[in-house]
Amino acid sequence: MAGWTFKWLFWIALYVVPVIFVPWAMARSWNQHHDTDARFSPRELLKRGELGLLSLVLTSSVIWDLLQSQFTPHTRALGAILLAVGGIMAVNVWVETYCRQHSGTDWHPGRAWRDSRNMALLVFSMAAVAQILMDRLTKVVNP
Amino acid sequence: MSAPAVALAKVQSKRRIVVVRLADSAQAVAALSGIFALLLIVFPVSFPRLVVNGWQHGQLMPVMMAFTLLLDGCLYFRVAHLLSAKPGPVAAACLGSLPLLVVAGLSVLLQRAVHHLLSFDLPNLQARVGEEILAHTYLGLVAAIFLPFLVIRLLQQFKGQGL
Repeated sequence: MAGWTFKWLFWIALYVVPVIFVPWAMARSWNQHHDTDARFSPRELLKRGELGLLSLVLTSSVIWDLLQSQFTPHTRALGAILLAVGGIMAVNVWVETYCRQHSGTDWHPGRAWRDSRNMALLVFSMAAVAQILMDRLTKVVNP
Repeated sequence: MSAPAVALAKVQSKRRIVVVRLADSAQAVAALSGIFALLLIVFPVSFPRLVVNGWQHGQLMPVMMAFTLLLDGCLYFRVAHLLSAKPGPVAAACLGSLPLLVVAGLSVLLQRAVHHLLSFDLPNLQARVGEEILAHTYLGLVAAIFLPFLVIRLLQQFKGQGL
C-alpha cells in the first residue's frame, strides 16, 4: 500500500509540478529579478485556457503507453479514442479562448479558466486510471 | 387567468434553453475517475472481483446503464437549474438514449475482446480477462457519461443555439 501510494504520488507530482509549480516559480523569479510588485497565481498564469494545451500533451503520452500495453486491440483502441477525445476537447478550450480574445469576441477569463481546469482534471484523472489499469495488467502478465 | 399570471407564463415560455458546457460533465467524470482509482488502490482484489462477478452474472451492464442514465440526467438538470434555463427536447432525447446505446455497444465490444483473448493459449488467462473487464467497465462509464454531453455540445455549436 505504501509503495503504491508513493508511486502514484510521484506520478502525480511528475505531471502537476511542471504544469503548475514551475511556471509559478518562474513568474515569481521574474518578478524578483525585475523588482516588480505583480503577483501571479497559477490561475492568473493559466487563465487563457493553457491547461487545455498541457492536457493534450499528457494525453499523448498516456495514449502512447496504452498502445504499447498488452491489452486487447479492442481495449487499446477504445481507451486511446476516449483519451484523444478528452485531450482534443481540452485543447479546444484554449483554442476557442485564443480565437475569442484575438477576434474581439466576448470572452470571459473566469469561464476559460474553469473550463480548462475541469477538462484538465478529466484528462488527468483518466490518465491516472489508465496508468493504474496498465500497471495491474503488467503484474498479471509478468507475475 | 390574471394579467400578471399571463405575463409570468409568457416569460417562462420565453426562458432560454439550457446550454451545456463540457466542463460540467468533465467535472463529474473526473470525480468518478478519482473514486474508481481510489477503489482500485484501496481494494485491489475485492473491487475488481466484484466487477468481474457482476459481469459474469449479467448484472454489470444493467447497473451501468441505470447509473449513467441517472447521473447524466442529474447533471443536465443541475446545469439547467443553475442557469435558470429550461431543458431542451433534443438534449433530453440524447441523454435518454445515448448512455444506453453506448453501454450496450461497449458491452458487445467487451464480449469480442474476451473472445479474442480466449482464442489464445495465454498464461494466467482468467486474471487477464478480469483486467479486460475492469478496463472496459471504467471506459464504458466514462464514455456513457461524457459522450452524450459531447454530442449535445457539438449539436449546439452546429446549430448555434440551445437544444
